[in-house]
Amino acid sequence: MTRGFRWITLGAVGLALTLPASALASTVEGEEEKFDPSEEWLLHDWIPIHIGPLDLSINKAVAYLILGSVLTILLGWFLMRWRLGTDPDRRQTVGEWVYEITQTQIAEQGLPTKAIARWFPYVASLALFIWVVNVIGFIPLPLSDETFELFGVEFPTWGIYAATSTLSVTLTLALMTFFFTHIEGIRANGAVGYFKSWIPDVPKAMYPLIVPLEILGQFMRLISLSVRLYANMLAGHMLILTFIGLMFVLENVILAPLVVPAATAFYLFEILIVVSIQAYIFAALSAIYIGSAIEPEH
Amino acid sequence: MNLAAIVFAAAEDGVDAGKAVALALGIGLGSLGAGIGIGNIFGSMIQAVARQPELRGELTGIQWLGFALTEAVVFYGLIGGLLAFVLV
Repeated sequence: MTRGFRWITLGAVGLALTLPASALASTVEGEEEKFDPSEEWLLHDWIPIHIGPLDLSINKAVAYLILGSVLTILLGWFLMRWRLGTDPDRRQTVGEWVYEITQTQIAEQGLPTKAIARWFPYVASLALFIWVVNVIGFIPLPLSDETFELFGVEFPTWGIYAATSTLSVTLTLALMTFFFTHIEGIRANGAVGYFKSWIPDVPKAMYPLIVPLEILGQFMRLISLSVRLYANMLAGHMLILTFIGLMFVLENVILAPLVVPAATAFYLFEILIVVSIQAYIFAALSAIYIGSAIEPEH
Repeated sequence: MNLAAIVFAAAEDGVDAGKAVALALGIGLGSLGAGIGIGNIFGSMIQAVARQPELRGELTGIQWLGFALTEAVVFYGLIGGLLAFVLV
């Protein structure tokens, strides 16, 4: 593919993406509705499923999660399971690179040697899954609660939304790590030995102060692990949305040369750095927590 | 003109304006601390690599871990601020 052809393709894709946006802009102006960024995070039921007190409805976040899981499976299969050979092509090199990063940078940093075989699959798939869900959160997809009309047909609006900018999703992932940590700790050291290992080497008189703090610390891990990912993705989306939305709040299109580059800069920062860092951090901290439960320092 | 109208409208509603100022101040001060911390991490990384370039690979992982842990502090402030903004 020549360079010129690439640019033409890129331009055509960009133009195709802006068409629905302009159609949307015209309908919004007609209706004169007020712009509110927080409405992006309201989840409406698409297919209501209520089993007793359980609410298992399919909404925007669930759709993104299902898409993310399917893409993660396909990506892993495509990169690391399909047509492998001793003479690797570019695709296989990427697969091996992903494997190496997850093994040397994530699993071997946190897990003791004897536990790598058992827990490497968990931390590696955690990293890959969070990365995929974060990335599709920054690609405009026609999965949205709002619709626009084009040639008399209703289409869902193209928008960016990450399932990981919902606290329930990240809390569930953090809860998995939380339970695995304590189950592995009890299995490796016995219940008494494991809970004793929480208490650091301090004089006995300090125990009433230290023990509640250490127990609280275990639960603070749960909060910090989930809120870190959640707030990063939420703030990233909110920044982009607010900068673009400034045009609609102030009802002034002259701001476009100012706000669009700013939003683009934040978009690039998010998709180039934050997306990968957060996936790496979540998996690395999970490995460190599980590893420190299996082999306590004291 | 439009901007001035919004500013005056916000000033009339003193409670909302106060909440907005408090939220902005909280996030701004939180970012101040995290900014110093992140600068520290990258500065130390540059020094470390300048002294021992062969350790770069090992240090990169630690650097990003420290970066993410420090950066998250801003967002705890943001979530706390948003909670206070919505609940109060």
